[in-house]
Amino acid sequence: MDDNKKQEVLNISNLSKYYFSYGSLFNVRKNIIRAVDNISFKVYEGEIFSIIGETGCGKSTLSKLILGLTNKTSGEILYKGDILNYNLKKLNLRKKIQIVFQDPYYSLNPKKKIYKIISLPAIKNKMIKKKDALHYSIQMLKKVGLDENYVFKFPHELSGGQRQRISIARSLSVNPELLVLDEPVSALDVSVSAQILNLLLDLHEKDNLTYIFITHDLRLVRHLADKVCVMYGGKIMEISPVDRFFKGPAHPYSKVLLESILAYGPKNILQFADADGNINNINNINNINNINNINNINAGIQKNNRGCVYYNLCSRRQDKCMNNEPELKENEDYRINCFFPYNL
Amino acid sequence: MSLIVDDLTVKLYTNFKKKEFFNVADSVSFSVQNGEIIAIVGESGSGKSFLGLSLMRLNPPYISEISSGNIFVSSPENSEKINIAKLKENKLSDVRGRLISMIFQDPNVSLNPVIKIGDQIIEAILAHKKMKKKDAADIAMHYLELMRIDGKARFNSYPHELSGGMRQRVMIAMAMVLNPAVLVADEPTTALDVKTSLQVLALIEKMRVEKNVSVIFISHDLSIARNISDKTIVFYAGQIMEYGKTEDIINNPVHPYTISLIKSVPALSKDYVPREKLFVIPGSLSQNDFKSGKCRFYGRCFKKTEECLNNISLLKLNGERFVRCINIK
Ligand SMILES: Nc1ncnc2c1ncn2[C@@H]1O[C@H](COP(=O)(O)OP(=O)(O)OP(=O)(O)O)[C@@H](O)[C@H]1O
Ligand SMILES: Nc1ncnc2c1ncn2[C@@H]1O[C@H](COP(=O)(O)OP(=O)(O)OP(=O)(O)O)[C@@H](O)[C@H]1O
Ligand code: SF4
Ligand code: SF4
Ligand SMILES: [Mg+2]
Ligand SMILES: [Mg+2]
Repeated sequence: MDDNKKQEVLNISNLSKYYFSYGSLFNVRKNIIRAVDNISFKVYEGEIFSIIGETGCGKSTLSKLILGLTNKTSGEILYKGDILNYNLKKLNLRKKIQIVFQDPYYSLNPKKKIYKIISLPAIKNKMIKKKDALHYSIQMLKKVGLDENYVFKFPHELSGGQRQRISIARSLSVNPELLVLDEPVSALDVSVSAQILNLLLDLHEKDNLTYIFITHDLRLVRHLADKVCVMYGGKIMEISPVDRFFKGPAHPYSKVLLESILAYGPKNILQFADADGNINNINNINNINNINNINNINAGIQKNNRGCVYYNLCSRRQDKCMNNEPELKENEDYRINCFFPYNL
Repeated sequence: MSLIVDDLTVKLYTNFKKKEFFNVADSVSFSVQNGEIIAIVGESGSGKSFLGLSLMRLNPPYISEISSGNIFVSSPENSEKINIAKLKENKLSDVRGRLISMIFQDPNVSLNPVIKIGDQIIEAILAHKKMKKKDAADIAMHYLELMRIDGKARFNSYPHELSGGMRQRVMIAMAMVLNPAVLVADEPTTALDVKTSLQVLALIEKMRVEKNVSVIFISHDLSIARNISDKTIVFYAGQIMEYGKTEDIINNPVHPYTISLIKSVPALSKDYVPREKLFVIPGSLSQNDFKSGKCRFYGRCFKKTEECLNNISLLKLNGERFVRCINIK
């Protein structure tokens, strides 16, 4: 695609975040958790960039790094060409990137009225004066489809969907250009989640906002994303345009993920070809023997520092994968981190 | 039949002194065969957990009571048939776990955070069966391994040392260890990622195949229900709105509520258009709907007419298909 013409919003290169856990006082062997491990990617203006992967793969750590909520171990994050360095308290940059968290119950201060919650970031960033808080928050509420009656309410007086709207309104209050949405609907009922997804798409169209959309639900990826980035064990396995991905993913791990969603999905839908050109139609819960051996992800990851992180569970692995880091196969359309991907 | 729920009504008191209440389950009837999986689907607050808890008489005492109806459980092994709804309080503990058991929506209810998981399972066994602790430990180990948990490594783990998916599997092991005829699984996969939840579904399926257990699978997600269940109950404000074979309900939903639920999720079907506006069910479920004398879905329905202001009863469409709606043509 024409990524070259689009403006680059985020450029992440060789970003890592390691956590260290120590043994007992006498056994000071260090355990390293590579929550985010040497990751590079770019996000372009107006794009909905989705990140998927199972629990513990590093999605939230990555979003915290982008938001400056945790310190990186190494690497660089460029925002429109500027280095994001939160230690310098570059508030101006910071406010251009906002986050919406998964849980609308814990992410709002229960003791504050809605208008205070919404206007606080704007006041802190000196965008508005305190006396304008009320007026300003009414404007923000309108954006997320709530009327002014909500300004004096407390979070506990609202439903889950309304609370999530408030979190979105709060993020929008500083006119961000990039929204990081960390599982924004997974705590919500289907009918409420439909509202929020519609709202997010509306805002995206109106204001040309750029989203990083973190989820473990592939249905949502297909519904709204332009690109999908698959993470496993702190690393990127694949970045592909969504259409291509759903026609048939290239990375062995992506394929397992897609199969697991298909096992949920309606029968007789979304068939895709495997490496030999056979059509797989995995819609039967009994057909998932391969899922049963995916027991302990972390065990799989830690044993294997030199080779491919997915080696222990991979159905296509060969000797080469054990001791060599896979090379990135890349063109303007996709990036695949694997020696032996499915047909591209 | 391993479970027959017959006209079950459960009261929930909003003010006990003033005798103010609503029926959190309202004349609910359905039955489950041996080895059958039935899904109960509906929005948050529709009363699914309450119904599940009531089947074991674990509905919160003082604020709620079973006011009428029967719950018959029987085990395929012997012909005993017990009416849980009418059972004496002191006989309940004999039935729970042995004939019917539950995976709770709130994991803190089922797992004690300060007891090792192996010991918890042993305790569950010894509460019902006289045997040596060593033998109980063997059974516990066996069930952990059935759940694909490395029994040797994990027997002495505390719940917090396990991942969410593993904890969920320990709970299934614990619920299955006495070989019950019926398992009530309340949102067993909701907190898990796709792959782990698929694994949990596969293990429930395995228990069905190997132990012939009947499963009541409670979920707010129809698309999960569709692949695990034989029959589906669409539940709203304490009432069955639609009931039938899962395939029929998904492929040919009849009740406006079922149709709305299906349309509000991005589908994976071929004719699906990305970014198309999702259907949003207007309004929300409130406790007043439980008391309503008209159709309980009235306020949010896209098909309502004046006739819907009457009390609507569950109609039999054909064989095993029931619908609570008068505008279904
Ligand atoms: N503060 C911390 N200290 C130590 N380890 C951590 C910390 N935060 C995260 N980790 C570890 O880093 C890894 C990645 O965690 P992260 O929260 O980013 O995963 P995730 O992909 O967001 O998972 P989920 O889908 O469950 O939200 C995990 O192994 C986690 O245990
Ligand atoms: N302990 C309780 N005390 C009083 N009311 C309760 C209690 N538990 C549930 N309720 C009410 O009973 C109704 C049914 O709740 P229930 O928990 O059965 O819903 P549910 O369908 O399981 O929802 P969810 O999908 O959120 O788990 C709701 O209106 C709820 O507010
Ligand atoms: S590099 Fe090898 S082990 Fe890794 S995903 Fe590809 S085939 Fe599998
Ligand atoms: S009875 Fe009327 S209000 Fe109720 S679901 Fe049917 S059409 Fe809608
Ligand atoms: Mg996370
Ligand atoms: Mg519940």
